[in-house]
Amino acid sequence: MKTILPLIIVFCCGFYMLATFFIPARFSQTSSQTLQNWYLGVMAFFVFIGIFNLIKINVDKIQRKLRDWQYSIILLTFLGVMLGAGFIGGRDSKVFLYLFENFQVPLGATMFSLLAFFVASASFRAFRAKTPEATLLLIAAVIVMIGRIPIGYLIWHKFPDLVEWIMQVPNTAAKRGILFGIDLGLISMALRVLLGIERSYMGGER
Amino acid sequence: MIVGQIELRVCDTPNDDGSSITVEWNAGPGYRIFEILRSTEPDGDFEKVYEAGAGETIFIDSDVKLGKNYFYKIVGRNDSFVTNSQVAGPVRPEVQYFNLARLPVLVCIIVLFAIIILYITRAKSGEKLFVRKIPALKAIEEAIGRATEMGKPVLYVPGIMDIDDPQTIASMSILSRVAEKTAEYGTSLYVPTSKSMAMTMAQQIVKESATRVGRPDWYNPDNIRYITDDQFAYVSAVDGIMLRERPATNFYLGTFYAESLILAETGHSTGAIQIAGTAMPDQLPFFVAACDFTLLGEELYAASAYLSQEPVQLGSLKGQDLGKLLFISVIVIGVLSQIFNWHFFINLFNIE
Amino acid sequence: MRVFDYLSHLDRRIIFLLVALAVVIPMLVPLNLPVDITGPVKNVYDKIESLPEGSVVLISTDYDPGSEAELYPATEAIIEHCFRKNLRIYMMGLWPAGSELGNMALNKIAQSYNKKYGKDYINVGYRPGGQVMLLSLGRNFGDVIKVDYQGIPIDSLPLGGGVKSARDISLVITFSAGDPGILHWITYFHARYGVPICGATTAIMAPQMYPYLSSGQLTGLLGGLKGAAEYETLVDKKGRGLRGMDSQSIVHLLLVGFIALGNVILVYQRRRG
Repeated sequence: MKTILPLIIVFCCGFYMLATFFIPARFSQTSSQTLQNWYLGVMAFFVFIGIFNLIKINVDKIQRKLRDWQYSIILLTFLGVMLGAGFIGGRDSKVFLYLFENFQVPLGATMFSLLAFFVASASFRAFRAKTPEATLLLIAAVIVMIGRIPIGYLIWHKFPDLVEWIMQVPNTAAKRGILFGIDLGLISMALRVLLGIERSYMGGER
Repeated sequence: MIVGQIELRVCDTPNDDGSSITVEWNAGPGYRIFEILRSTEPDGDFEKVYEAGAGETIFIDSDVKLGKNYFYKIVGRNDSFVTNSQVAGPVRPEVQYFNLARLPVLVCIIVLFAIIILYITRAKSGEKLFVRKIPALKAIEEAIGRATEMGKPVLYVPGIMDIDDPQTIASMSILSRVAEKTAEYGTSLYVPTSKSMAMTMAQQIVKESATRVGRPDWYNPDNIRYITDDQFAYVSAVDGIMLRERPATNFYLGTFYAESLILAETGHSTGAIQIAGTAMPDQLPFFVAACDFTLLGEELYAASAYLSQEPVQLGSLKGQDLGKLLFISVIVIGVLSQIFNWHFFINLFNIE
Repeated sequence: MRVFDYLSHLDRRIIFLLVALAVVIPMLVPLNLPVDITGPVKNVYDKIESLPEGSVVLISTDYDPGSEAELYPATEAIIEHCFRKNLRIYMMGLWPAGSELGNMALNKIAQSYNKKYGKDYINVGYRPGGQVMLLSLGRNFGDVIKVDYQGIPIDSLPLGGGVKSARDISLVITFSAGDPGILHWITYFHARYGVPICGATTAIMAPQMYPYLSSGQLTGLLGGLKGAAEYETLVDKKGRGLRGMDSQSIVHLLLVGFIALGNVILVYQRRRG
């Protein structure tokens, strides 16, 4: 029963939601909407489970004085401060907005900016003309990188047009091919899940 | 139906739940506004239900009752004259139980499902099916063995999306098999997650996998933890795990965005062997450049079937391949249709 | 040659240092490079230009602080254009941080145009649920949105009460850094309700959007900081987009240099056997 019941639920809900895509009648759309609202409700509840897990692991780390336990104090302190600022003052409170604009925004932007450095090191290491395909990739990458900046336009006024052609023709064609494959793979996996052939995501017996 | 100087057409809105009527009109230039009037009797009192601007030609009236008859007329105005259209109707909103505009989608789904089920049935009957080697999947066991020999942990990153994302489901299926191997070898497995539901699912999967290979004692729930929903805070935490714990093997399987290169480059700097897989086309180049093995798009979805080597699951892969061949044929016919103006074929694929 | 042996094992930190210098120096010594306008960006501009005064534009800020550097300049440039055309802005966000960032831009520019909150613009804040929420929203805004981001009942605001469903929206502009984002708007708003969609994405995501541009599902697209710089040029308002193009130009040239150097090293290693 432990295995059969979830499979029945997956089968019924999955095919029902698929059917509602084709049935415009009110009962179909309302029930589909209800199921989606249930998902939203469950998802909102799970936010608390994640926070409890985070708190539990870090409190345990502090109590047992495991490696780097001091960082757990900092984490829990800031978690408490943000939660407190949000609950007490609301999302528009000065404290909450100050913390958001002066901590979260710059920290997130800093992490994203690491990409510039990592792209440079990855380019130096990986963009080598070892095979004909790699050479083609290399040439296209250089053209696009130069064409995308104002200097490209200054070098040759048609450079941006060449880049647009590369992006809109071979790049788009390749992406569409990849997307077709992905979508077919998705349909195949979805059917295996709906029919109960694929069960490893449940963690149970396969 | 077409009436008067202002050509007025009314009809039950197609493919809906009977809650609206479509009012369309064609008028010459010069009108500033159009007043759409409605009544339940052809000679009754008409009330204004909408005022359209000069450029508008369609109005969907959703303030109607199912099964009731309605009549419409339009009054076009500008500064110097007023034109009344003739009354159009009766028109009654009705429920449609099937969206005909989506029939092509249904046909495609049925055909694909039929092909996949056909091959599953053939596999069940014992027919041997050939599936090509996927190097990334072959390397999984070797990579875990490497971590075991070095006495270092394995890091598994299941993407940053929640369990409603198909890539996360595919990743969890692979996690089940990775967890079995690591439990069998006694190697530590870290699974930091970005979503609470994904954490719960991963904990369940790893625990069950450990039990299945007879190592329930190996399971440590603290190794499968929730980090944060914030994308870059999550990746900085995972980078920290990589730099502190120095896993010998990193798996990145699931949905990734900008953080893909940050993860892969940090992992590369620690000397780990890296196996990645995603169905995000714009992240694939980063993984291909920075990782040792990469599952490209559909290979991620095929991975679980491939790793199981169960004939029934492999059958679905064969069905998927035949479906791809069918799509290629349709594309070729579509290109020829555009060249030779075979409108019938092109119109089959207009979908609302 | 010893130089090539050294370069083939070049410390990553030297590469990082050179990139940092390539970013910082143009900021201190601006080059003021001219920016050409590409088709997808012009399409966004033309679409907004074509809207009659008073049309409602739904702006969705679907990004977080990590993408703020690329998408915030585009947000400002487009809001500037909308207010200049006397369009009404209905703002929301599919990402929690996005709605705060969008709010910053909206309030700042609304002040300079003397726009009234509730009448000329409105912000309903973060709406969770992704695709599930969008499906409900298009059918009936009232099912999803009861109050604005300040907790004011939506029906008490002229603009809020006037928008009932997708049919009341003339254009959706989404500033998208991932998921949920632009693809959701295309799939669940444009495909279902026919509302035109324009987008601004990070440079990494932009290539993924070209199939949707070709098919017409996406009307126009601003890709990365360059897209923002192009739009600032079109609306004639210099902002962070244009200022960032100098650094971006030098970094791109540096990357091309690294690639060339890497291949010279490869040729040297092959010759050495």
